[in-house]
Amino acid sequence: MRKPRLLIVDDEIPFARNLVWLLSRRDYEVEAVYDGASALRSIEEQEFDVVILDLKMPGMDGIATLKELKKKRPDTEVIILTGYASVDSALDGLKLGAYDYATKPLQLSDLEEKITQAYERKRLLE
Amino acid sequence: MHEPDLHRRSYTKLFRRFILVSVTCSVLPLLLVGWVSYLYYSQFSMSRVGAYFQRQVEYNRRIVESFLEERTADVKLVAFTHSFGFLTDQSNLREVFHVLNREGAYFTDLGVIGTTGRYISYIGPYDLMDKDYSVTPWFKEVMAKGVYISDMFMGYRKTPHFIIAVLVSKGETTWILRATIYTEFLSSLIETTRLGKTGEVFLVNREGVYQTSPRFNGKIMDTAALVMDSFTGESGLRIIDSVKPAESLAPEKGIPIADLIKYGLMQTKSEQIVAYSWLRRPDWLLVVKQDFSEVFGDINHVNTAILVLLHASILAILVVSVLTARYMIKVIKKRDIEAEGLNRQLIQASKLATIGELAAGVAHEINNPLAVILTTSQVVRDLSEDEKDLHVEFKDQLDQSLSQIDAQVQRCSHITQNLLRLARRIGAESRFVDLNVALKHVVGLLEKRASSSGVQMSIDLQEDLPRLCTFPFELEQVFLNLISNAIDAHEGKPYGSIHITAQFDGSTNGLVTTVADTGSGIPAEDLSRIFDPFFTTKPVGKGTGLGLSISYSIVRQMGGDISVRSESGKGSEFTVWLPCSGPEQDGMEGASGKEGLDEKAPAAHSG
Repeated sequence: MRKPRLLIVDDEIPFARNLVWLLSRRDYEVEAVYDGASALRSIEEQEFDVVILDLKMPGMDGIATLKELKKKRPDTEVIILTGYASVDSALDGLKLGAYDYATKPLQLSDLEEKITQAYERKRLLE
Repeated sequence: MHEPDLHRRSYTKLFRRFILVSVTCSVLPLLLVGWVSYLYYSQFSMSRVGAYFQRQVEYNRRIVESFLEERTADVKLVAFTHSFGFLTDQSNLREVFHVLNREGAYFTDLGVIGTTGRYISYIGPYDLMDKDYSVTPWFKEVMAKGVYISDMFMGYRKTPHFIIAVLVSKGETTWILRATIYTEFLSSLIETTRLGKTGEVFLVNREGVYQTSPRFNGKIMDTAALVMDSFTGESGLRIIDSVKPAESLAPEKGIPIADLIKYGLMQTKSEQIVAYSWLRRPDWLLVVKQDFSEVFGDINHVNTAILVLLHASILAILVVSVLTARYMIKVIKKRDIEAEGLNRQLIQASKLATIGELAAGVAHEINNPLAVILTTSQVVRDLSEDEKDLHVEFKDQLDQSLSQIDAQVQRCSHITQNLLRLARRIGAESRFVDLNVALKHVVGLLEKRASSSGVQMSIDLQEDLPRLCTFPFELEQVFLNLISNAIDAHEGKPYGSIHITAQFDGSTNGLVTTVADTGSGIPAEDLSRIFDPFFTTKPVGKGTGLGLSISYSIVRQMGGDISVRSESGKGSEFTVWLPCSGPEQDGMEGASGKEGLDEKAPAAHSG
């Protein structure tokens, strides 16, 4: 089974780049963008299996990005990342169709597990 | 609970002020009304009594004067309507005498006396025909005035009597018709007047000699213990001291009363009210007197009653004022203490809210760099794994360092999570929770840790406690914090104990949980800050100082209260009170969360 195609959407550039580097080494196809608008452009141009989406971003925040993303790519699974550790806002995301949420800082292994589960769900629903 | 120091002096001042105001506003008018009533009543009573006495004296005076005027008129009528020759006939005189006494036995005797002063004819019980009256005072008076009523005198008959004498001059004949008045009859006119137990009516002459027998202390012809000079004017009303001879004087010494009065040898018996009136003729004083105490006895009783009532009312007002003031001060003190307590809680809650909001912002800002550190650490780890030529020691040291970085990131993450819990409102849905189950669960979680620290845990949970409508996870978090702190309090001690109790408090309709330990206790100066965020008595690295703040915040959001008693070196006891009615919920947010310990509570009302 191929590894899922991932899109990292986070305004924290060093964090996004680290994730890209680490996940690439683990045979994921992964890209990173640093704002919501760029994320929407990317998903229009190509399909991603799982989007790792930060909630708090300048301009278009994670929830707004999620809403638009789900309109354009309803099949794409989204994992919400949040440094706020607020269950409330993360659960808002779940209600809008996100698959799961994780709080920063997170272990890479935990993130990988969530990515795998999200991808399996996507494959089941296809 | 201690009285706020700030208010201690003001309570005393307030108490005094209240007493002053209430006493002034109620006692002064009462005193005024009372005294005015008393004075008015006294005055009124006095004037009524005075008027009554004056009426008595006037009444008796008129009776006596009428009697004497009628008798004088009788004698004058006989004298002027009968001739000398007629009246000097014994049988005629007898006839006239009987006529005079027909209406009443007014006259004792009747006689015609010549200018020589001797009886010419006489009807009466005494042998007086050979008596010479020419040098007697009455003879001289009648010869001078024509009509004369004498004072009482003994005369030849050696018995008190008085006479009415009329001088008649017809032509060359001059003679005197003299009649002796029946003394008892005169006395009977006034002696029948009874005024209570101490009242009396009598007549005295200008020298103070009794013309009638007084009811008390004397008899006719005795000298009355009266200062005659004081009876001025035609009539009057006096209050005098009733006097008697000094006790040191033997009564048989027979010293005249006038001398005793003159030389101040009388002593006061009692005060008396005296009404008097001078007769026109003769020169007698009619006296009506009565003991002051008897006259005003009833009035005095009423006055005394008024005064007693007045003073009793004042006393009652004072007592009620004091008691009311005390009660009000007590209520005020209680309110002040409650207000201070609420204020403290408000300050604490504000502190927490401010810190919570700050903490939330800080936590979020820190979590991102932590995520960068963690992922960068992971990158370095990956790179080091790729390098096969790395020296073993170097690789080991690198691994250790990276592990240390990961551990510290987790530690920071733990701190930020706690900070965020401080700011976070607790869950959206309350559930019915069995407190005992929650406590037992927490005790189970910490049993091993306690045991390894040499601390023995015991529980005493009241059976069948009412279930709480609250937030189960947060509830357990509170007790986790408290019991965890209790275990940590035994650090450095070889053994200790933690006793946990739970019971229902009917008076407050709440559940009271206590966690008491035998640990190191909390210094007194730290007790007021124990719930402050970041305040900790643990060594650096051992605690964040947020556990009790979070517990406090959770309990307050549940509608409860948390307090502590502690003694340094002996241990601490935390008390958590939670209402059985459940916390107020206004616009709670968030998801339902995972399934709780018990079934869901009914949906809370949102405001």
